[in-house]
Amino acid sequence: MDGDIFIQILVAAIAAGTPFVYAALGELITEKSGVLNLGVEGMMLVGAISGFIGMAKSGSLLVAVLCGMTAGALMALIFAVLTLTLMANQVASGLALTIFGVGLSAFLGLKYTSIALPGVPELHIPFLSDIPVVGRLLFSHDILIYSSLVLFGFICWFLYKSKAGLILRGVGEAPKSAHALGYNVIGIRYLAVLFGGAMAGLGGVYLAVAYTPMWVEGMVAGRGWVALALVVFASWRPLRVMAGAYLFGGITIAQFHIQGFGIEIPSQLLSMLPYIATIIVLVLISRDQKSIRLNSPASLGLTYHPNN
Amino acid sequence: MAIGRKNVLSVFVVLLCVAGLSLTASAADKLKIGFVYISPIGDAGWTYQHDLGRLAMEKNLGDKVETKYIENVPEGPEAERVIRDLAKSGYDLIFTTSFGYMNPTLKVDKMFPKKRFEHSTGYKTAKNVGTYMCRFYEGRYLTGIVAGKMTESNTLGYVAAFPIPEVIRGINAFTLGAKSVNPDIKVKVIWVNSWFDPGKEREASEALIAQGADVITHHTDSTAPTLTAEEKGVYAIAYHSDMSKYGPKAHLTAATHVYGDFYTRTAQAVLDNTWKPEQVWSGIKEGSIELAPMNPVVPADVVALVEKTRKGIIDGSVHPFQGPIKDQSGKIVVEAGKTLSDKELLGMGYYVEGVLGKIPK
Amino acid sequence: MKTTKTKSFIGFLIPLGAVLLALAIGAVMLLSLGANPISGYATMFGAAFGSVEGFSETAVKSIPLLLVGVGICIAFRANVINIGGEGQMVMGALLSTSVALIFPSVPSLLLIPMVLLAGAIGGAFWGSIAGALKAYFNVSEILSTIMLNIVAVQFMNFLLRGVMIDPGELTRGTGIPQTMRLTENADLPILLEGMRMHLGVPIALFVAFGAYILLWRTAMGFRLRSVGYNPHASRYAGISVPRNVTAALAFRGAMAGIAGAILVFGSESHRMVTDGGSTGFTGSAGFNGIVVALLAGLHPLWSIPSALLFGGMLVGANALQRAAQVPSALIIALNGLIVVFVVSSEYFKQRSLQVGRVALSDDESTETQGKNNE
Repeated sequence: MDGDIFIQILVAAIAAGTPFVYAALGELITEKSGVLNLGVEGMMLVGAISGFIGMAKSGSLLVAVLCGMTAGALMALIFAVLTLTLMANQVASGLALTIFGVGLSAFLGLKYTSIALPGVPELHIPFLSDIPVVGRLLFSHDILIYSSLVLFGFICWFLYKSKAGLILRGVGEAPKSAHALGYNVIGIRYLAVLFGGAMAGLGGVYLAVAYTPMWVEGMVAGRGWVALALVVFASWRPLRVMAGAYLFGGITIAQFHIQGFGIEIPSQLLSMLPYIATIIVLVLISRDQKSIRLNSPASLGLTYHPNN
Repeated sequence: MAIGRKNVLSVFVVLLCVAGLSLTASAADKLKIGFVYISPIGDAGWTYQHDLGRLAMEKNLGDKVETKYIENVPEGPEAERVIRDLAKSGYDLIFTTSFGYMNPTLKVDKMFPKKRFEHSTGYKTAKNVGTYMCRFYEGRYLTGIVAGKMTESNTLGYVAAFPIPEVIRGINAFTLGAKSVNPDIKVKVIWVNSWFDPGKEREASEALIAQGADVITHHTDSTAPTLTAEEKGVYAIAYHSDMSKYGPKAHLTAATHVYGDFYTRTAQAVLDNTWKPEQVWSGIKEGSIELAPMNPVVPADVVALVEKTRKGIIDGSVHPFQGPIKDQSGKIVVEAGKTLSDKELLGMGYYVEGVLGKIPK
Repeated sequence: MKTTKTKSFIGFLIPLGAVLLALAIGAVMLLSLGANPISGYATMFGAAFGSVEGFSETAVKSIPLLLVGVGICIAFRANVINIGGEGQMVMGALLSTSVALIFPSVPSLLLIPMVLLAGAIGGAFWGSIAGALKAYFNVSEILSTIMLNIVAVQFMNFLLRGVMIDPGELTRGTGIPQTMRLTENADLPILLEGMRMHLGVPIALFVAFGAYILLWRTAMGFRLRSVGYNPHASRYAGISVPRNVTAALAFRGAMAGIAGAILVFGSESHRMVTDGGSTGFTGSAGFNGIVVALLAGLHPLWSIPSALLFGGMLVGANALQRAAQVPSALIIALNGLIVVFVVSSEYFKQRSLQVGRVALSDDESTETQGKNNE
């Protein structure tokens, strides 16, 4: 394997990991507020078709992104109303959202299966993109990949450096105390859920507009579930989410390259590994109470009754 | 409002009756034909081609037939139920269009001795079950010629779904076609273990391009390989349907399969009471395999060569699997002057010389 | 306890209203596609319930939904909800299929109970992994079952492409990932001549009644429910919380596992097939069963009509597609709409019942979601 191919694998891994980056970082914020939204797959699908329709109608990437984010957030709003206002069970509501999203996106997309989109061009940055190795690796992507990095930076800053992030974590950690301190727990959770939905939608847009510029039913193909697994795998830390997303993208890409070189691997066993690893991570962090206190939101998945 | 509750109710009842009547009245005399599809019809791909065939048959036979389709039917227990449901509700001829429908079709056939079934790509017939498929490999051989002429790196990329004989046959025919015009050709295959997964198909195409392939073809269902080739500036040869609008520059041609004539003939035979269960395997000669229009970048001499080979296949002077053919180890598998029989073709489980890698278990 | 019946009756009426509301929205969608909603729905429900044959199809389709739903009822009473039904069905089916492959000549009378038991054990094993992780390592069962579902599906693909594949698939070179036709001794007997209603239907009903008796007529059921209601008090009363949580998840897995076994041995091809994902095998029953249980107010007996309703919709959906030629996307969307409405109806149900605490709203004070650190 020569170096050039290695760089191509890395470049492809970054692209393959980007939908996970968006969806998992969004879900991270949702979960940090103490809400577990299992509807990521559904939100990504609806985001994907909405972004696709936006792109097909307007030809503008910005419009596509806005459509996808709005649609994802609207889906999340359904979830928020169900779980935060109507106090429905989060697991059941999340599943409902996924089932609904699969159907709704297929229905919305009926007239759009035959449209070809131009795709999103790579952003050529003068000088930087021309640096031999680093340039290809870091500066040969499309704008949606760069904006996912900006999002990552923002989330790190938000969670660990901003006051709002502190409040968000507090709400996820001890909603009663946060309530006692005068914070609007339900309101903050609404915002976190909506943000998670918008990001899942954006992940969908990346898939349908940039990664494989087309619309087909169910095109998210389980990536929403992977994003959920990644948040846990990363034990609720943004940097690990990024690493996990690119690692997962890299494994998928490497699998194909290994085949191309004629090496035989039992693909089913290989594709089991990330999930078994996630279970092990779960066991480790759940056993070690200190680390779980540090990162896992203590009230995750619990319904909060403000008047109790 | 002046409309009382009773009125609403009676309107509802009347509507129900009308609906019931219209449902029963439409059934008279026509031959009712059902189609079971593995995926949504969409705009390109396997199911789309079958649906084009269904529409062509409707056009040809007019009001002698009435067709209905059920799309997105997974193989396995669900398929049994859908096929049974069609047979039960008066469909006399049922086309089941995916390999995995074989056992369900045979099962349902036993329960409905008066119904006719046609199963696509299967190998088992029964008293009322015929099978049909296309000699996809003939189209593959022709597109192989185009690829062999257009490549500069002498490396061709093949995105493949599952290692079954039908797919392996296509890979071999494509390779032999390419080698017939360019002996140095190498074909790289990547298996994605899915008939339809745009993400994986894109990733596999990218990997092939990164490893030097400059013409990509695929035995999967989506337009992703063509899209990826367009994006990366290499050529693509599509499968199933003409996908040129997804890659105006990349799309050289496509190997497509056409069912209109077959569906029309079969329905007519059932109407005339002459239908027999057969194993139909039709190719270019019968009009079942066609190439999509060539991209203008393909030089005229290549177009002419393809046309000449096509005619050769029709008149029998050319056979894609004509000896001498060597397998990967260099052993002769088809001796000079011989061609593979249909039985050997159907059970093909080896790569010919020129394909890289091994067939996964 | 006297009002349980009326409660669960109201508990059934309100979600039923939600279903009707969803169908009304579905009617608008049908109209938008140019189809007549009234005749559409008439076709749909006519096909599912209008004839003995249709009902037989509906009953067969409802089996996995009912079994998974009953399992959810039990687990929910112990306050553990999990989404592992898909994986548990797959593992139950794999183990029961192996038993039929290893003992093909055991007579039916013995082999059928054996494969069903194997299904239960396979599912229970997969469920108790999540249960033990939860009880002893404090791992959230929701998160662990997401992973276990995917692992089970890959394991199925691995086995069905490997050791369990039909030898004929290899000699013919077709390589379809499916087992050979399993021994006829394990076929679930057909109950109505010429139809598909088979022994799985009474088995599922029997399990539903069994679950009801287990939950409300046995000491075990009492312990499960008290652990769900208040783990702290249960601990003081000497009830082992971890053991009962594991038991609840094992029961839930066993039900799903039986469902998986019935899918294999009650199918018309009498073999286990994979299309690479889980839905091809389970038909998403592992997820849809949760909705069945919710619609039934988490009561095993009310799960019976609830499962029939969803099973009927699935059967009728094909008839609707055939009659109105609406795309399958609409049916999936309709199904999703119903699920959303049923879940949201929970709030109105609780308000009308004026119950302080129903199993659905896992109250924070009980700290049952894996952060129970004392």
